[in-house]
Amino acid sequence: MDLSLLLDPAILSELVFQGLVRGAMYALMGVGLALIFGILGIVNFAQGELFMLGTYAMFFCVSVLGLPFVVGVAAAAALLFLVGALIERGLIEPLRRRSGRNWLIDSFVLTIGLMVVLQNLALLAFGSTRRGVATLLPGSFDIGPVTITYERLMILLVATALVLALGAFVKFTPLGKAIRATAQHPEAAQTLGIDTPRIYTISFGIGAALAGAAGALLISIFPAFPTVGYQPSLKAFAVVILGGLGNVVGAIAGGILLGIVEAYAIFFLSAGWQNVLTPIVIILVLILRPQGLFTRQGERP
Amino acid sequence: MSLRVEGVTAGYSREAPILKGVTLEARTGLVTVIIGPNGAGKSTLLRTIYGYLRPSAGTITHDGTPLTGLAPARMLEHGIAYLLQGRSTFPAMTVEENLELGAWTIRKDKARVREAFERIYGRYPQLKERRRRPAGALSGGEQRLLEVARLTMTGPRTLLLDEPSVGLMPKLVDEVYAEIARLKEDRYTILIVDQNVKQAIGIADWVYVLNLGENSRQGPAEQFHERLDAIVREWL
Amino acid sequence: MRTAVETPAAASGWWRSPPARWLKVAVLLLLLVLIPPWSGNPYITTIFISAVMFGILGAIYDLMIGFAGLTNFGYAGFIAVGAYASALATFHYDVNPWLGLILGGLAGALLGLFTGVVTLRLRGLYLGLTTWFLAEAIRLTISNATDYTRGVMGLNVVPFPDLFGVSFARGQLLSYYYLLLILGAAILIAMALLLRSRVGLAFRAMREDELATQSLGLDTVRLKLLNFTLASAFTGVVGAFYCRYLGILTPTPEEFGVPRTVEILTIAYVGGRGTLWGSLFAAFLLIGLQEYFRSLEAWRLVIYGTLLITVILFLPKGLAGLRRYLW
Repeated sequence: MDLSLLLDPAILSELVFQGLVRGAMYALMGVGLALIFGILGIVNFAQGELFMLGTYAMFFCVSVLGLPFVVGVAAAAALLFLVGALIERGLIEPLRRRSGRNWLIDSFVLTIGLMVVLQNLALLAFGSTRRGVATLLPGSFDIGPVTITYERLMILLVATALVLALGAFVKFTPLGKAIRATAQHPEAAQTLGIDTPRIYTISFGIGAALAGAAGALLISIFPAFPTVGYQPSLKAFAVVILGGLGNVVGAIAGGILLGIVEAYAIFFLSAGWQNVLTPIVIILVLILRPQGLFTRQGERP
Repeated sequence: MSLRVEGVTAGYSREAPILKGVTLEARTGLVTVIIGPNGAGKSTLLRTIYGYLRPSAGTITHDGTPLTGLAPARMLEHGIAYLLQGRSTFPAMTVEENLELGAWTIRKDKARVREAFERIYGRYPQLKERRRRPAGALSGGEQRLLEVARLTMTGPRTLLLDEPSVGLMPKLVDEVYAEIARLKEDRYTILIVDQNVKQAIGIADWVYVLNLGENSRQGPAEQFHERLDAIVREWL
Repeated sequence: MRTAVETPAAASGWWRSPPARWLKVAVLLLLLVLIPPWSGNPYITTIFISAVMFGILGAIYDLMIGFAGLTNFGYAGFIAVGAYASALATFHYDVNPWLGLILGGLAGALLGLFTGVVTLRLRGLYLGLTTWFLAEAIRLTISNATDYTRGVMGLNVVPFPDLFGVSFARGQLLSYYYLLLILGAAILIAMALLLRSRVGLAFRAMREDELATQSLGLDTVRLKLLNFTLASAFTGVVGAFYCRYLGILTPTPEEFGVPRTVEILTIAYVGGRGTLWGSLFAAFLLIGLQEYFRSLEAWRLVIYGTLLITVILFLPKGLAGLRRYLW
């Protein structure tokens, strides 16, 4: 391992770009997870399976129907919004009625069950073959020493656009404000006439749609197969822990940070060990700064 | 025309209801105060009126319209607003956003919302001054004002106030009661539950005493001024 | 409907008396001991080994989640540590496999103590997330340190040497089965005694109301630490048994990753949290179902997941909720 390589501007800028692309996709996954935790108080372990459904939707749209990739991403997001809303209404809402102080653990275990069911239903429906799309967007260009493929650039741009759109939605629209209000004080939101069960359904739907969009967008890296969601969901959790549970802005920062750390790890560590690095970094964060790197003590989204 | 509660039985379990056939009326434009020892079911009564608990017997009507079985989120449409116990602002949102959410049920009617903002900002200039600040950065007293202001955005007729002065410094308690007196001048129908018995009765028109989930006595506030000490001693 | 409930109630006088209960326990124990040799069928014996082992692991899991609200979401990693500690000690340092059982327990206890110390001051869910990442780090370290663990190529584990003239050579399934019964009984009895003691009372109090327990002057963090460390030690012992039984260790997710944790968690939930014994019944039910549906690979897991969801939504007490009809 030659650390002086780090100072080589070509390698440095290459790594930063790779890190940003990775970071953008992690952030996209993490934001959905953070949103669901911040508003519903659910650590959604089935987020990776929602991602998986997104990859299948994308494969169907692009490879089977031959639609342009933008349509595929939109279709995956729309489909997953519906799936998410159904899951909330059918499973989470009934649990909310009966679960009291064990909500965090009960809802977490519920999503574990959901993960197992979705994974294996996918296995039954689609088999275990990987169904990928080789490239969504061919070609590349150079900026100085860095080669940038159009596809990677597209991932970076679409992910950024989606995250910004979500931010604007939550910040400026009436529905977005009602969502924030419900997260901060559900009972008060209710006394003002906000239909909080509906807000929960919509929020879960949005969180699921983000996972679906991420799956669709990344299909060339993560081809569709039943357990494809595990790695992305591990990363999403990592990002959310880095950023502080439920902190959406923190999740974005955490995503970019993890992306860049991993880009370096890939460069300096052998293939297998870099996968050990992520959990170890996360454990260290959990031990040393459990509120996350980007959350001040006691702050909420 | 008023808020009427008739023979309401409610609680968290069917076997041991907290309220056992409570009857009371909050008459239009008057301040009605409910007092009683701890565990008398005062807050439970407000929560039942507002639809958090479904009564197993009895009826609740507001200006003749039955409220029984309606969800809390539907109450404001029926002109009845509820001030929660404790802090209830959205701390990370600005004062203006808090007020906007107060107008949630009328949000489609832009003219009415604009009018509501003018009315509230005219009435509470200190909120207008701080409208871009996050609600969590306001002082305790200002947050209480914001909570009341937020509830009156849609122009409800009846206000339920659940322990409006609990946990506040004495100076702020006076401010809260001054504000309630102003609301009374504006002819809101007000139903208050408060531990702060003296001040509550001070502005009340009519007083109900609840004990162990049942009506104990009632009467015009004047009757309670001198007998108050004796009543409170009974509870101890 | 009404008569259907009343009929067993009428018969329940004798059926539920203490001697009847002892009799029922004795019959079940006897069946447990006798069915595998009677059947003479190695397939039945392997199913019994799986069911008993998962039942014990489920009960240990229940000690954590059902009695102290501790979610170990990296449980499979804890089994892996017990298994690999024992296997590697024999492989590299010729440690006697019987000693390996203790070594596995110690390794589990150390891991549990470490994890507990760093996470138990935090809110409940952080333990779940930390253990998950920890287990992932453990599993991936095992698969990457190929020079030491042989990684995915698989680590050969020598069987237990003969003891008191009983052979534990490969294929001696009944020896392994009875060894497991003895180990399992020891662990279950230890846990049952612990739960009956004053410490167990404190666990129950803590489960009902953590703040009230603290205000009684009980140190809830220390109680949780004790619970977690003990449970991890028992897990390590079972892991050390498992590696000998298995004969070859590979760090695959099915063996030591999330799927394995989910299996055990499901058994603990289906058995009924806070019951300890429920897990044994749940294990026989689930392993039985699994074998019955062997040909329907994926459906089997759909059933696991659906059962877990059903228990959370409709049967919060799990099988224990049905006890008054059956027991």
